[in-house]
Amino acid sequence: MNMNQGVKVFLALFAGLLLNSAAAVEEGDQVPQLTLPSIYADRPDISLPALEGKTLYVDFWASWCAPCLTSLPLYNEMYHKYKDQGLEVIAISVDNPAEDGLDFLEDTPLDFLIPSDPEGNAAEAFGVIGMPSSYLISPDGEVKLVHMGFRNGDMEHIEAAIIENLP
Amino acid sequence: MTSKRILLLVLCSGILMTGCTQVRPWERGYLARDEMLWDADALERQLNDHIFFSKEASSGGSSAAGGGCGCN
Repeated sequence: MNMNQGVKVFLALFAGLLLNSAAAVEEGDQVPQLTLPSIYADRPDISLPALEGKTLYVDFWASWCAPCLTSLPLYNEMYHKYKDQGLEVIAISVDNPAEDGLDFLEDTPLDFLIPSDPEGNAAEAFGVIGMPSSYLISPDGEVKLVHMGFRNGDMEHIEAAIIENLP
Repeated sequence: MTSKRILLLVLCSGILMTGCTQVRPWERGYLARDEMLWDADALERQLNDHIFFSKEASSGGSSAAGGGCGCN
């Protein structure tokens, strides 16, 4: 092995390390088929395939993420506005321990589905690259919108996309 | 440099790289915990900032907004 080969092997190892992550879900992809436990111990598991036929808004949040906590009450309002038209909001908590998320929910009750993903398996499946990340999924399971971060004024854009994709 | 030395260097680098890991976005809560702060004691931090300001006639730069999640 000469010097050049050594450098190539080193670069290959380094590249392998950098690429060691799942591909992110993008607009036009099919939603990953996941079933997750509810953050509330007394509520049933939440299965994405079982919700086919509804418009899904899947959001990844955590209690340590300030913009997530801003967005969740607004998502709750949006859920009440459109749930009768077939919208389901699924806010996946990535808090580890899950109790951190429950502490937030005690002060801010939310009425939509809240699965718990403390090990980040669902976040890995979606290839989340920032917090918060949310995904609008059409009734046939296609990802229609990927939204990262949360700023003032984002709700108008999200709501318009939801209205466009209601069943 | 001999081939054996290069091979040894590559192997050692490979072994060391197993210690490298990315902090995924959903794992950044670990960075936001109090025990991850340089100065976990808020009172001590304020005192140190005050002493720094008195001596250097400048302040700030000792901490940043947000909890380390990179989302704020």
